[in-house]
Amino acid sequence: MENKITQLRKGILELAILASLSRGRHYGYSLVKTISGDKEIDLTEGTIYPILGRLAKEGLVQSEWVESSQGPPRKYYTLTLKGEEAFRVLEEEFRKLAAIVVNLQSGPVPEDAAEEHQVLSVTKETNNG
Amino acid sequence: MANGFSGPVAQIVDNYLARLKKGLRGFSAKDQEELVKEIHSHIYESFRNDPTENEVDRILKVLDKLGEPANVISARMPEAMVTLGKKKKLPFLILAGLLIAFFGVPLGMSGLSLAVGLIIGVLALVLSFYIVAFSLILTGWLSAVVMIVRIFSPGFLDPWIDIYPLVPDPTLNTVIYIFGALLIAALGFGLLWLGSRLMRGVRFVFRFLFEKIRNWRKRAPAPAPAGLERQQ
Repeated sequence: MENKITQLRKGILELAILASLSRGRHYGYSLVKTISGDKEIDLTEGTIYPILGRLAKEGLVQSEWVESSQGPPRKYYTLTLKGEEAFRVLEEEFRKLAAIVVNLQSGPVPEDAAEEHQVLSVTKETNNG
Repeated sequence: MANGFSGPVAQIVDNYLARLKKGLRGFSAKDQEELVKEIHSHIYESFRNDPTENEVDRILKVLDKLGEPANVISARMPEAMVTLGKKKKLPFLILAGLLIAFFGVPLGMSGLSLAVGLIIGVLALVLSFYIVAFSLILTGWLSAVVMIVRIFSPGFLDPWIDIYPLVPDPTLNTVIYIFGALLIAALGFGLLWLGSRLMRGVRFVFRFLFEKIRNWRKRAPAPAPAGLERQQ
């Protein structure tokens, strides 16, 4: 069970990083604090750095070193245009998936939900086509 | 190293950063410097904001929350190790890099050691288990055959086998030994039956590992998320 929770968190963490950066620039430690907040989330803080490295490699974030008045300089990250676009798409996808899970939890899916899903699919195809 | 800390705290931070740097061999000098600098900055900020009074306790708490250096660099490790292997023409490092790519990344660095240990442990367990089971069956059957021969020809094996008399009647004594031998053989068969259950467990473990590899290989060529939506 612990492994499943870890996998779920890893998947969400990337989106959480993009979400935090969509609201403003952050350095590593401030990202961790923003994501975990005052909630008791068991987050291994170092795991955000490989993710940030990967996002930078994919061109979704950019970074710059900024001198700090207290202590060593901080590496600030911001979203690139490509990153903002990726975040919008991922956020939308996440909302859909979360809604599905919530609906499934709250009871049987109403019959017209299937029809609605079909209408959505057709609309999407028409838009893309 | 002047790391902004003093006393034992500075030593603990130095030790952590040294371990991190050691793990970063194979990365370019610039990448090494950047990551060490960034983690150092993180440690400093985290230490400054933690309310724990005792400084040693505080730094240990900070490093515990940060995680092991291997976890900080694990996702970028395979690429770096393969690069290093090519530079030094060491196929072993390329193999290690690929192994980490297959097992290490999906399961985490601890997963690699766990996977190798698990496979070796399970194989050793299965092997020793079946050796014991077959030994019991062989011993049981051979003993039973010897005892049956003794019923029809009581003195036939006496020069080689010394049998302790459990009861005064030699025939009854032999029958008791036959039951004992068959019991040992039955125990062996029981172990074989248990082994079939064990093999189900082994199959599950291997299926689990292969599934991890398959999932990783599926994820590997994933395009940028923005492009993905447009293609649909």
